[in-house]
Amino acid sequence: MGLQTNGLSLEVVGREVTGRPVQGKPRRPAGPYLLGLPALLLSCLLLVPIGVTVARAFTTRGGFGFGNFAVIGDPAALHAVGNSLLWVLVAFGTVVVGFFLALLSNRLPAVSAVLQPALVIPFAVSVLASGATFRMMFDATPERGTITALWTRLFGSSPVWLGPGLFWLVLMSAFGWTWLGYVMSLFRAGLDAIPDDVTRTLTAEGVKGWKRLRALEIPLLRPITGVVTLTLVIAAVRVFDLVLIVVPGSMQQSADVLGLNWWRATTSSGDTGRTAALGVVLFAIVAAVGLIGVRGLRRRRWAMPVTVVRQDPSLGRPKPGRVVRRLGWFIGFAVAVVWIFPALVLVATALHSPREAGLRGWWSPSGLGFSSFAAAANVGLFRALLSTLFIAAAATAVLLVIAVPTAYLVAWGGLPTRLGRIVMGVFVVLAVTPVQMYAAPLRDAIDSAGLAGSRVALALVHAAAGLPFAVLLLRSAFASAPPALVSEALQGPVRQSAVLATVQRTYRPALVAVAVLEFALVWNDFIVGFLISGPGTTPLSLVLWGEARQFSTSSGPVAAAATVASVVPVVLMLSFWRTVVRGLTTGSRP
Amino acid sequence: MPSSRRAFLGTAATLLLAGCSSDVLGLRRSVRVAVSWSGQELRAFHDVLAGLGTLSYPVEVVPLGDDISTAFGARSARRPDILMLPQPGLVPRHLQDLDPMPDDIAPLGRARLWKDLLVHDGTTYGVPFKTAHKSAVWYRPSVFRQVGVQPPTHWAEWLTLNRTLSQAGFTPLSLAAGDGWVLTDFLENVLLGIAPPVYTALAAATSPRPSQQPQFGAALRLLGQLWSAPGLLAGGVKTSLVQQFPDALVEVFGHRKAAMVLASDFAEPVVRSFAADPHDIGLFTFPRMSAGAAAPVVVGGDVMVLTRPTSDNARDLVRRLAAPNAADPWISAGGFLVDGRTSGYSPELTRLAEQLTEPGEQLQFDLSDRLGRLGDINGLWRVLADFLIAVGGRGADAVPDAVDAAMDDLRKLEEG
Repeated sequence: MGLQTNGLSLEVVGREVTGRPVQGKPRRPAGPYLLGLPALLLSCLLLVPIGVTVARAFTTRGGFGFGNFAVIGDPAALHAVGNSLLWVLVAFGTVVVGFFLALLSNRLPAVSAVLQPALVIPFAVSVLASGATFRMMFDATPERGTITALWTRLFGSSPVWLGPGLFWLVLMSAFGWTWLGYVMSLFRAGLDAIPDDVTRTLTAEGVKGWKRLRALEIPLLRPITGVVTLTLVIAAVRVFDLVLIVVPGSMQQSADVLGLNWWRATTSSGDTGRTAALGVVLFAIVAAVGLIGVRGLRRRRWAMPVTVVRQDPSLGRPKPGRVVRRLGWFIGFAVAVVWIFPALVLVATALHSPREAGLRGWWSPSGLGFSSFAAAANVGLFRALLSTLFIAAAATAVLLVIAVPTAYLVAWGGLPTRLGRIVMGVFVVLAVTPVQMYAAPLRDAIDSAGLAGSRVALALVHAAAGLPFAVLLLRSAFASAPPALVSEALQGPVRQSAVLATVQRTYRPALVAVAVLEFALVWNDFIVGFLISGPGTTPLSLVLWGEARQFSTSSGPVAAAATVASVVPVVLMLSFWRTVVRGLTTGSRP
Repeated sequence: MPSSRRAFLGTAATLLLAGCSSDVLGLRRSVRVAVSWSGQELRAFHDVLAGLGTLSYPVEVVPLGDDISTAFGARSARRPDILMLPQPGLVPRHLQDLDPMPDDIAPLGRARLWKDLLVHDGTTYGVPFKTAHKSAVWYRPSVFRQVGVQPPTHWAEWLTLNRTLSQAGFTPLSLAAGDGWVLTDFLENVLLGIAPPVYTALAAATSPRPSQQPQFGAALRLLGQLWSAPGLLAGGVKTSLVQQFPDALVEVFGHRKAAMVLASDFAEPVVRSFAADPHDIGLFTFPRMSAGAAAPVVVGGDVMVLTRPTSDNARDLVRRLAAPNAADPWISAGGFLVDGRTSGYSPELTRLAEQLTEPGEQLQFDLSDRLGRLGDINGLWRVLADFLIAVGGRGADAVPDAVDAAMDDLRKLEEG
């Protein structure tokens, strides 16, 4: 089509629609809502018990009121609240350390080649396994404890690491070991995504060092910082099994955290009101932290906010000098060795006979063999592994089947804006809800349905617990779909299938991330299985819980069980880590 | 890559199918047995179960460690069907959660010592599975020979022996203060040795008030005498506090860092498997408190109880476990005493078993198990750990103040 006036020939060309197409109310067929139905049903597994817990917390003998919350005045509970808050500080500390590690690896590129796998392994290993490893390393006896032996060799004698006050160091080391890899990988992905020309311009203008960090990296990484801080703080407030495994019985009271305090309260008293109140307090802390963390995410309407654009490799940064490369390689190697060390301790301990592992440290040359594995197998490790495999696979499958359509519905299904916000808000709150908020009523419900001990029920609970996070993650992947495609899809159900078809190609990282993380999470789970089905549901909890009472003399079988149980998640994480990170920092544009 | 991934998925699916017997799915109702055992004890119990032959129902062992009383808390159907209670004192306080024992084995719960705890209004709510002799001290004879001393026969001799050992350059004792019950066992032996009537009265009281018994303070003072000796404890107080009972045994027999350790009969398998020299193992029983008095014997044990509502399968399993020969695999592994039986054990355990059946001995059931809340992890365990911190290695001068502080703590606990 053309226009001709005054000898000028104007060509009119259509322009591609780039934003969400039209303001105003599109026609909303009811069909897409059905996509959310399974998620609604599954979420009821959490929502109803949460409601019951809240109701119980506020029900006293005299009717509704805050009477039950007097439980917080109890010195032990107060102490536990204090400890839980201390854990939040630990989480922040881990974020800061992880950020600087990422910065280091970004500035000295060779670092990451060696460092990455070393950092991923601890993240894949369960909390119980890493807790057990650190307890072995910090054992008070110099013949057994690696750190104690080293310290004694250097300084003559060694403090009692697992004793008063110092057990915090052991707990924090184990926590940091688990999470630093995750923190660093995400920050690193964000840093790598900062276009080089921006960096170069700033440097040319004389903005360097701290100034550049403040002016460029920190603001640009704010969304990633939000996600990372949120994950870490939630992990820190939920600390439960780590304390159970690491801290010796006599110190348990001083290491008490809110989650543990709740558990002991539910098991030692029949007063459901008080324990429900404890659960609500725990939830309030997590939710408060979560909401603060999410404020940064809110601007993007609850989406996981990070967009990582893969750079055109031809525009790569100039190669650093030889010295810098050597230095980077050296530092990377050194950090990697330190980082992988606990895993080596674990495997080496497992390779000693139970007697030798109980008597001496992993470096002892005597008693090598597989008898510790045999001892672990004796208490039912294989059967527990099989049932864990079943639970994890079933939970992952259910989760994917339900989360994908839900995420699609929330992202592009045409929900009214307000409803969409409410739905996402509910998902964010559910994602941070601690197990203690729903465990007790849920367990009662499962029991009265005659499903007590059913692995199927447990898999469903896991899927329900994983759903909010999966939907949040997938939603942002969907939300970053090319607008043209979406605008076509909104025109009718026929085109929607076209959008779904591109999911396979375009959103695979997010899907893989959800699947891998859920599988590993369920595989490594202790607390959900423990609180809902009792101890012995997972291979590690079965063996560790059984052996923890005589921890050091059981080092061999414990290490063997931990090693066997870690193989699957470690292999899974190592093979999919790049995709997982891309999925987590999602919005991976095609 | 796709083909290998497919292969992986295929293998996983096959494994899943193979494993998806209803057992793995958890659909068959198994009989759940909650135990506090761990390590070798747990494995020995698995052997006992295996020795029962084929059962028509699956059995699941749930190790709960020191938190075994939590099994009562769960109101759910996931509650264990059978509890192996290491604190039989919990039985009278949980009668409403328990079902009576089957009639044919009920008489087992009426044996002496056990009757008070397990029988109520003529109904038996538990039967002993395992008896524990909690007044045993394991030691290394080679050290005693080197220094030229004999195992002590009364309290003052023990104090002298410790001094002699210290002067000769040996650390006398390894203490597993990380396990609170080791500390209470120590105190109970002393109290039973000096004032059996007070011990009995406290054990029988519905709301016991140990802080009002002068003899309780006296027992603490005596205990303080022993614990306060400088250089007594291997690793000092701090290490002792994080040491669980097997660790203390390894310190004595594996690393040879101390000469003696107070540990029950059930320490035997740990002692034997970790001993550097299998012939250097000796045992004496807790000395009399004064030359004329009877030697104290504190008895503990694990009793089988059925949680309410019980099932026929659970009853069947209890019956099988109560059979005279059921525990044979564990007895041959060591560290297991059966109520009333004196044969079939190692020489050390035979001596303990005989002391348990001799008439005229000062036998009493574990006190801390019967004190209720006062005797548990936040009660007496805690008080004694603080007491140990206050006196350990500080000499006799530190004792009186520490005793006063401990009695104050107890008073507060009794009131709270």
